[in-house]
Amino acid sequence: MRLSAQQEALERYLATGDSVIPHELMEQIQGSNTLPAADGLMIYHNAYRARLLSVLREDFPALHRWMGDESFAQLALAYISAWPPRHFSLRWLGERLPEFIRGYIAEPQRSPMIEFATLEWAFTLAFDAPDTEPLSLDVMSRFSADDWVNLRVYLTPSVRWLQLQHNTVGIWVAAKAEADIPDVVALSTPLDCLVWRHELVCQYRTLESGEASALRLLSDGGSFASMCENLVGQHGEQAPLRAATWLKQWIGEGLLQRR
Amino acid sequence: MSKSNTLGFGLGLRSEYYQQILEQRPEVDWFEIISENYMVGGGKALYFLDAIKEQYPLVMHGVSLSIGGPHEIDADYLRQLKTLADRVQPCWVADHLCWSRGSAHHLHDLLPLPFTQESLLHVASRVRLVQDVLQRPLVLENVSAYVQWKTSCMSESQFLAELSSLTGCEILLDVNNVYVSSRNQGFDPWQFIMELPHGRIRQIHLAGHSDYGHYLIDTHDQPIADPVWTLYSKTLSYLGATATLIERDDHFPPFDELLAELSKARSISANALRAAAPCA
Ligand SMILES: [Fe+2]
Repeated sequence: MRLSAQQEALERYLATGDSVIPHELMEQIQGSNTLPAADGLMIYHNAYRARLLSVLREDFPALHRWMGDESFAQLALAYISAWPPRHFSLRWLGERLPEFIRGYIAEPQRSPMIEFATLEWAFTLAFDAPDTEPLSLDVMSRFSADDWVNLRVYLTPSVRWLQLQHNTVGIWVAAKAEADIPDVVALSTPLDCLVWRHELVCQYRTLESGEASALRLLSDGGSFASMCENLVGQHGEQAPLRAATWLKQWIGEGLLQRR
Repeated sequence: MSKSNTLGFGLGLRSEYYQQILEQRPEVDWFEIISENYMVGGGKALYFLDAIKEQYPLVMHGVSLSIGGPHEIDADYLRQLKTLADRVQPCWVADHLCWSRGSAHHLHDLLPLPFTQESLLHVASRVRLVQDVLQRPLVLENVSAYVQWKTSCMSESQFLAELSSLTGCEILLDVNNVYVSSRNQGFDPWQFIMELPHGRIRQIHLAGHSDYGHYLIDTHDQPIADPVWTLYSKTLSYLGATATLIERDDHFPPFDELLAELSKARSISANALRAAAPCA
């Protein structure tokens, strides 16, 4: 048997959930008195799944806690056989788990669980997103009048913006704290939630809808003046103050960088 | 390789110890990084990498090259490896003599190759390609194995010797892996070490394994076992001073325990070298 055929036989055996060793593979393998071929192959077979499972447990610790070990393992193993690793780094193993849940779990659990897995994966993405130079309060304090007129910003690359339909944040906080996990509740209006990294630490925060639309407008490239104008309807004369307070908070949190 | 250019005694750099390393500047001669952990956009890993490389020599150790795999060498991976090497300026770049990726997807394990002429030509051409990109010799490590291929017509150490003479690649001798494989497959670990081209051994690995009675598993979650220390000492009496690294990948003990294990390596090495010194 040629090298590539030998490798294909072992690959197929490792990646299928079936632990029965195919005859054509067994014929190629030599064991020893202390470790027979079938036992040696089983070590690789078990190690493949155990390694991937432990990566998913680490990347989705709260989902793991929420579902319980057995259900999580079932989900994870089904996911691994549907989406075997496609990236050289195990860091990307869980990338498609939220999407996989869509086809694997039925309502009413499906939507909250997708949302939950998406929230947890957002932390993984924020954790090692590209470094950047966020706009700082120090720089802002030295803005000239022209700087204020010309200011245009992006969200920093680590920011994930989620719109939650359920009390997902509450469940996540409880699962992380290993506290009693509340029941799923659907929200009457979607809740905006940001996950990002500031300096080296991952952060999250929910936004009430006024703040969310103001941040959306600004980070889509709107000017500070247009953000103020937008706030006049609700805040009247206080609009510029409201806008400045939010801007200062966003900058302090490391959410913005200059375009 | 002259004896004076050994790096001394190092530890695997793991995130569990980042803070302590920067704050306490422990007496470790060098650190070895897992290359893939730093192939990311930014954040904590790269922050600590940059800080620690200011204070210690670093060596890069990869797990995903899959030098013996049935696929093409991943150009994107190789580009990222080169970018990382340019950033880190490591003393050398290592990976394993194995395959870790199949034709369809990644298997994330260090799988054994059949040691045949066909494998030798396959691996040699890929080593040359990698060395051309990295602009330096690749260092390849013997792995722990739980099976062998019946088609093998030479030992892993003979294979490494041939590969090194064909390509100029260097060798990372993992003494624990030699011991684990020798117990699992019933070969003589000392013969394995004697078959290697000693002048090409750039580095040694030491690590712990789990003993299941009939067989051993290379778990890197235990202190180094006595037979591995013995083999290490005997090896050094032949090789002379050689850069030595302790790997720990799970059940992380307090950092002081790893430092104590490193001191043990230093003293075993000193004794072995003293005993082996020719009479004046
Ligand atoms: Fe090793």
